[in-house]
Amino acid sequence: MIQMNDIVVTFNKGTPLESTALRQVSLEVPQGQFLTVIGSNGAGKSTSLNVIAGLAPVEQGRVHVDGNDITDWPVHRRARLISRVFQDPKMGTCENLSILENFALAQGRTQPAGLGFAIRQGARKRIAERLKMLDLGLESRLDDKVGLLSGGQRQAVSLLMATTGETRVLLLDEHTAALDPKTAEFVVQLTQRIVRELKLTAVMVTHSMAQALHFGDRTVMFHRGRIIFDVQGHEREQLTVQDLLTLFKRDQGEDMSDDALLLS
Amino acid sequence: MSLYEFLGTLEVGFVFGLVALGTFLTFRVLDFPDLTVEGSFPLGAAVTAAAIVAGGWNPWLATLAGPVAGFAAGWVTAYLNVRFKILHILAGILVAISLYSINLRIMAGPNKPLLGTPTILSTFEGLGYPTYMITPIFFGVILLVVKVLIDLFLSTGVGLAMRATGANPAMAAANGIDTGRMRLIGVGIANGLCALAGALFAQLFGAADAYMGIGVIIVGLASVIVGMAIAPSRLVYQATLACIIGALLYRFAVSAALNAEFLGLKASDVQLVTALLVTGTLIIQQTGGPAKWFKRGKRP
Repeated sequence: MIQMNDIVVTFNKGTPLESTALRQVSLEVPQGQFLTVIGSNGAGKSTSLNVIAGLAPVEQGRVHVDGNDITDWPVHRRARLISRVFQDPKMGTCENLSILENFALAQGRTQPAGLGFAIRQGARKRIAERLKMLDLGLESRLDDKVGLLSGGQRQAVSLLMATTGETRVLLLDEHTAALDPKTAEFVVQLTQRIVRELKLTAVMVTHSMAQALHFGDRTVMFHRGRIIFDVQGHEREQLTVQDLLTLFKRDQGEDMSDDALLLS
Repeated sequence: MSLYEFLGTLEVGFVFGLVALGTFLTFRVLDFPDLTVEGSFPLGAAVTAAAIVAGGWNPWLATLAGPVAGFAAGWVTAYLNVRFKILHILAGILVAISLYSINLRIMAGPNKPLLGTPTILSTFEGLGYPTYMITPIFFGVILLVVKVLIDLFLSTGVGLAMRATGANPAMAAANGIDTGRMRLIGVGIANGLCALAGALFAQLFGAADAYMGIGVIIVGLASVIVGMAIAPSRLVYQATLACIIGALLYRFAVSAALNAEFLGLKASDVQLVTALLVTGTLIIQQTGGPAKWFKRGKRP
């Protein structure tokens, strides 16, 4: 479903700040797979997600999604194939629009907006129905501005918005990082449930090793712009966070230095 | 203030209500501070006046030509920003100053008098009511129609996409919205409205003038800021109404200031009064009103 071939990304090329974020990364995610991605800061995990979403400049290599070469597509065109949940709860929704209007926007991802009314007949009921699965009581607050919701509620709404419509690929960029542990757990459980129910192809970037191993069905680890580690199936089920750290030390000859990664 | 003066202030207020709605679209909806208005307002006037006088066009058709030209001007500004990444404010200034020269060309001189020629206002002359009463009603109707059209537009799929573009461009793009196209359309429409205002203004005062655009952006901004500070603006139709209220209020405030003899102000002081009004409103918004100015404790 997603194919990245020999992707090279360099930021600030030709300046003293030049840094290579991805060094010939190739990755293939088959249809229906839920991939989790870990790595320390600057390892290239978020950049690889941005390459798929169209936010990072690709210097070399091609990206394919669902058989389309999307390397040169602008972000809004990719939205037909890909939906995305951001790290910052403020980013994924429009705070001065109502919940209903936000859903209407998300609808536009696969049904281009026209000059008909944005909120169509029946939309209210359908969206309320969908919000019920969150069990947060949001189905009765459809006309509230999203800015009134808490971070966790907004993230849950973003997730539902990203999974309405026909897009088959879901990108999650540390979407629980800004939430408190309890809410984070709720959102990630919800994510797993929706991905499974709708049989989506999902890529979840996370800072938490435990989360990466516990959810989804395959895990890759980035380090200094390369994939250093790729496990799935039985081997993955056996793996613990401690094993990951040992493996990392053996492969790289250095200790994991990123505290955020160690502690969570 | 006499009835005559009152109605005169009202009709000008209605004309600048159109400018306020345009400013609302750019500054508030699209978050695109657009200064093209300084050029598109006289552009609308120039195109309409030239079409009537030199082209011999039907005044109604000529009045429609103004906004079309204004739309094109706004489109150019947005294109400079979207396609070539030129800073929006700078793009607006560039287009506005080039329009100054273009307007001189269109009018073949610094102004184009409309005295003695048919205008859309002269159509009403045979009805038996005085012009000073019909004009404000006519302009009020135009403004109301435009307001309702904008309200409707902003509740369509495209309109919602435009609001999202201004509020959260990254989210808009991630939801399949071509944010560049939204800016092109939105800034175009806004300048079309300002050009319409220019076209009406020229016919009201009997001339188009190359200098009539000076300060228009501040008038538009003043209307939006004052209106939204006073009237509720949570919903779209409230916000557009607030802009109109702001435009009228602004006009009355300025005419009151100029009429107050003890202040000793002249007509040429309008720009200064406007700037003071906007600055004052912004300061009040920032500091939470006069009541808080004299309180002890942390300064905002």
